[in-house]
Amino acid sequence: MEGKSQDDRYLEAAAEYGAALHRLASAYEADADKRRDLLQDVHLALWRSLASFDGRCSLRTWVYRVAHNAATSYVIRQKRSRASAWSSLDEVAAVADPAEGERAADQRHSVDRLLAWIQQLKPLDRQVMLSYLEGLDAAATAEITGISPGNVATKIHRIKNLLAQRFHQGGRNAE
Amino acid sequence: MLSDDICNVWQAQGSGPAPLTLEELRKRGDRFHSQIARRNLREYLVMALLIPYFGYFAWTSPLPLMRVGNGLMIAGLLYMTYQLHRRAAAADAPAEMAWNTCLAFHRAELERQRDALNSVWKWYLGPLVPGMATILAAGCIAAFPRSTVAGILVLVCGGAAAVGLWWMGRLNRRAAAGIQRQIDALDAL
Repeated sequence: MEGKSQDDRYLEAAAEYGAALHRLASAYEADADKRRDLLQDVHLALWRSLASFDGRCSLRTWVYRVAHNAATSYVIRQKRSRASAWSSLDEVAAVADPAEGERAADQRHSVDRLLAWIQQLKPLDRQVMLSYLEGLDAAATAEITGISPGNVATKIHRIKNLLAQRFHQGGRNAE
Repeated sequence: MLSDDICNVWQAQGSGPAPLTLEELRKRGDRFHSQIARRNLREYLVMALLIPYFGYFAWTSPLPLMRVGNGLMIAGLLYMTYQLHRRAAAADAPAEMAWNTCLAFHRAELERQRDALNSVWKWYLGPLVPGMATILAAGCIAAFPRSTVAGILVLVCGGAAAVGLWWMGRLNRRAAAGIQRQIDALDAL
């Protein structure tokens, strides 16, 4: 990354992680208009932060940290008085899925159900869930989130169980 | 559908172009700084209006206690402006979002909110209380010899203001305690 300008780094990051940032914004904000604003805020935070990029971590870790932290800052502001409305992975798993068995093989419907769950999660559980869905391994997730690798592995195990329960069951019913 | 499949479905979601061009990012960055500058200017303008106002009474009031109260109001307003400026400047550091892990950043955000709520008395309301109390006392001393009703009215207004401030402080402490519980939950991870 030596010698690259802030703009070059941003264009590289936006090209490589733009789609992931788009998905990340959808996991933090359900309303389409507010989501557009959040995505723009995330890109602005990323562009501004890259003026100070010093290679102390990979560009991927940098991008995901900025994006999650900007989005978390946003949801804290939005839900300042309603933080208790967030749930942990265990709490989400304990609640019955009203849509179970209905059109579960439909991909769009699956993503919508998934988003509805993710948007209820506490920020750190949400960050681990999104990292898993984006295909990041436990070490990368630990570096981004700051949670110990062991704790990340435990959370990913719960996430896999949760996804298997909800989507595998639904998929079989729909077949 | 297996969990690996749902990851594929998730990652296959479509994406549009970058929401902002470089030119738009630069404009927004400039606008961000302009907003900060405008907010600072607004604070300075309010001070530029209030300080001469209290200064006028500090200079011309026939009651020494009223002059002292107005002087204390000016000191309180200057201290409040300094604190607002200091805290706003500390909050704008975009690279902090990348240097901190999500856990550290989230904790720091909650700590900042908790401390702001806990210390609001020290830097936002507290500095104005000595001046307000002194002006109120001077108002009572001036009003009672002429009219008992006017004196009582001044006392009632002062009492209502004191209850309002106490209630605000109580709400802030309760909100800060709620944030502390969230911090404790993060520390338990």
